[in-house]
Amino acid sequence: MPIHILPPEVASQIAAGEVVERPASVVKELVENSLDAGSNSVTITVEDAGKRLIEVADDGCGIPIDQLSLAVERHATNKLDGPEDLHCIASLGFRGEALASIGSVARLTLTSRTTDTDLGANLQVEGGHASRVLPLGSPAGTVVRVENLFYNVPARLKFLKHDQTERRAIDKLVTRYSLAYPLVRFSLHQDGRLALQTSGNGNRREILGTIYGVEIARQLIEVISEDDWIQVLGFTSPTSLTRSSRRELTFFVNGRPVKDAALSAAVIKAYHTLLMVNRYPITILFLKMPPEMVDVNVHPTKAEVRFREPDRIFSSVQRAVRRALLAHSPVPNLEFQPHWSDGAAWGEPHTIDPTWGWRDIENQRKEGGAIPEGSSPTPGSQSPPITKSGLGAQPAPLLRPVGQVASTYLVAEGPDGLYLIDQHAAHERVLFERVMKQRDSSIPSQILLQPVAIDLPPYETRLLQEQLDILGKIGFQVELFGHNSFLVRAVPAILENHDPAASLRLLVEDFEEDETPLQAELEARIIARICKRAAIKAGKNLSPEEQRALLTDLEACQSPRTCPHGRPTMIHLSVDLLERQFGRRGSR
Amino acid sequence: MRASVLQENLAHGLSIVSRAVSPRSTLPVLANILVATDEGRLRLSATNLELGITCWIGAKIHEEGSTTVPARTFTDLVGTLSESHVDMALDVRTQTLNLRCGASNNDLKCIDSQEFPPISVEDLSDGLEINVADLKEMIHQVAFAASTDEARPILTGVLIKINNDKITMAAADGFRLSVRYAPLSSSASLPISAVIPARALSELARIVEDGDQTVTMTMPPGRGRVVFQLQNAELVSQLIEGSFPDYEQIIPHSYETRAVLSTSAFLKACKQAEIFAREGSRIARLKIEPGDELEPGTVEIQGQSEETGSSENVVDATIEGTKLLIAFNVGFLREVLDVINTPNVALETSADTSPGVIRPVEAEGEHGEFIHVIMPMHLGS
Repeated sequence: MPIHILPPEVASQIAAGEVVERPASVVKELVENSLDAGSNSVTITVEDAGKRLIEVADDGCGIPIDQLSLAVERHATNKLDGPEDLHCIASLGFRGEALASIGSVARLTLTSRTTDTDLGANLQVEGGHASRVLPLGSPAGTVVRVENLFYNVPARLKFLKHDQTERRAIDKLVTRYSLAYPLVRFSLHQDGRLALQTSGNGNRREILGTIYGVEIARQLIEVISEDDWIQVLGFTSPTSLTRSSRRELTFFVNGRPVKDAALSAAVIKAYHTLLMVNRYPITILFLKMPPEMVDVNVHPTKAEVRFREPDRIFSSVQRAVRRALLAHSPVPNLEFQPHWSDGAAWGEPHTIDPTWGWRDIENQRKEGGAIPEGSSPTPGSQSPPITKSGLGAQPAPLLRPVGQVASTYLVAEGPDGLYLIDQHAAHERVLFERVMKQRDSSIPSQILLQPVAIDLPPYETRLLQEQLDILGKIGFQVELFGHNSFLVRAVPAILENHDPAASLRLLVEDFEEDETPLQAELEARIIARICKRAAIKAGKNLSPEEQRALLTDLEACQSPRTCPHGRPTMIHLSVDLLERQFGRRGSR
Repeated sequence: MRASVLQENLAHGLSIVSRAVSPRSTLPVLANILVATDEGRLRLSATNLELGITCWIGAKIHEEGSTTVPARTFTDLVGTLSESHVDMALDVRTQTLNLRCGASNNDLKCIDSQEFPPISVEDLSDGLEINVADLKEMIHQVAFAASTDEARPILTGVLIKINNDKITMAAADGFRLSVRYAPLSSSASLPISAVIPARALSELARIVEDGDQTVTMTMPPGRGRVVFQLQNAELVSQLIEGSFPDYEQIIPHSYETRAVLSTSAFLKACKQAEIFAREGSRIARLKIEPGDELEPGTVEIQGQSEETGSSENVVDATIEGTKLLIAFNVGFLREVLDVINTPNVALETSADTSPGVIRPVEAEGEHGEFIHVIMPMHLGS
């Protein structure tokens, strides 16, 4: 095929692909336009997860009749004048691509009236071709209707995710904007159901309540910090309120939701030493800075930004969160370093490296040349001193319990030395294999004396609803009970000694968007989480009988050396190593 | 302080109060037992701030005084002394308690009794007398059903309700419910409803002695605690705050199937099923089969696990209603059958997902004083 210039329809479809990835991106572009138009109220209507209809109506400044046909042209915008403006973008949009892109992959109907005229106008774009502008009576503001999205891009349509996922993405997007613009009244209808409604009274905590539930919203700590060039406002969770993923870290820079790994890192750093490993806070921060300090022209959907002075911003964020946190912290004597300005100062904490002892040994081995370099170690005689038994399928050695250390680890003697066993990880593995075996027949479930009601925030409600079938299979009997409420009627038998509501809540928190579509694997994952909850905790004293029973159960497991999440259950100290350490066998 | 006591009295007193000692408390004095002279007797007290036990033993008091003695050392020592007089003398300045018994001479390092949490004297005039035998049996039949999960504190307690001349105890752990009623000899002036930690009641059942006829229960208003007084001992416990589940609503009023069978045979069958089921799901499957004119009805109790095998037991029973297959946690069944002291027991239920009600079958004329509800288990589809 000879090289030729692509026809404009194809070119615009390709360009549209960057901006309009999925229904949620259409909603994003349209809502941003509405916000740039200075609207006080934005109403979004979505049908069939956005595939059939997305309509965004606002009461903003509107588009004059004579400019209507220009508005749907590519690179047409009123938000930018010359190249110098590009360095100082104060509006959400600026590329002038949104309407043109949407118009090339859907049927777009634009109806608008400015406040100073009496007559509005209407324009249709289909497959990139605009119709004539027709004068029309309409309320002040702009209504954009997007119908049959991707009708001419079947590939895109095919690659859309599950309807529920797309709906959720729209939910999430609109709630984010409603948080960033608390003075704008948002309402979102999905398939005739009111999914979100904010009052526009400026109260962010109220909006947080609709997202996370009233209880969590009440607990969130307000972050307020301002200096001469950056303002950090928002909310962050107290140390007692955590999540298992970074999902709930949300940032807005100058009113624009952004994803930024470094900002997340700054918040997590602020919680340093306050949270357990693998727990993350819920944080919503609104950063405001002069527009020239941030470059938003990085990514077509503007999800990423670049900061001119990243270090300064990160230290401001971290300091703001840390300060808010310490002001509310129940722990009084936390060390607070007031100067974070240079990068190194918020560097390494005062934690003791848990592997110090072993590292020393390893160093000694290297320095002392216990194993001559170059000579290949003969198997058996020179097993590595500490085997972090990673090989899952390896059977467990026969173990004789010796005792318990720190109420967390079991000490056991095996045929070839000493074993340290993490009681929680070991029990997790035992339970996991037991339940997986029961799954082949059926997992026993214990009915509750009285059903327990739990309330979840809308986002988690959706997640839970999607997984109800699987939960039913593994022993939970949960049913929807009104808006965002569920009734727990039965729990898996292994969770019998745990608070049913708390267990389910924890489980839902761990649900992720787009869980693997493989049913069996998903089930196994959820079972692993249940077992994690049901397993004995570190810090529990075990009687000698319990220790023995746990070791026996572990020996019977198929892959006893790791917990279902892949952490090791046991560490091996060989006799060989012990002898060397005690100087019974010198360096050869 | 100088006093002289009999070794066996002292050992007995210590065994009563030592259950309230909290050896791992951050407050060192809580690992000690308060020893004080009290109107011609010796008073021993221990507390973990939730539960306090006091016991009085006969003694010859030569000089008044008090101190707190490390519980472990004290009980271990007294247990090995010979059975004769023990002479105690406290050196107040050094807080050293000298203990002599026969040829044995011991000095114990003590902590000043000033540091011991004050034991407030309540107005106990308003107490309610409860028959000891009744109380012990009630606790025995109810307390085991309480939860041990500290995350739901209210369920770790036993609800005590007193209305006129009737006392009710109830405990539930989310899966089962135990309710026991008993008459009172005297009627209460005001209705009472309070939740007492199950552990405190179990301790109470342990310390009441054969000599005790009645226990006096007092709940001083607004203090959030309950006091049980015995002849020579006193137990004080914090009450648990919160609202107890409405247990009456949980008890079903009707049934489709009712099986009456021998308590001991049922218990034995459950124990056998548990031997197999405990390794796995802990499920006992009950097959309730009504009889006809020739054959009696039966209940087949079955337990199994992948690892250990399976067990089946058929117990003859009088069955009313339709046949039914239902599964329960075998441990729950065993625990309730263990506390039923009538020869026959009834199991009533309506479906494999509705609650199972277990009641002792009383002799003619008596009416149901004990009800136990167990939620069934089911095997997911």
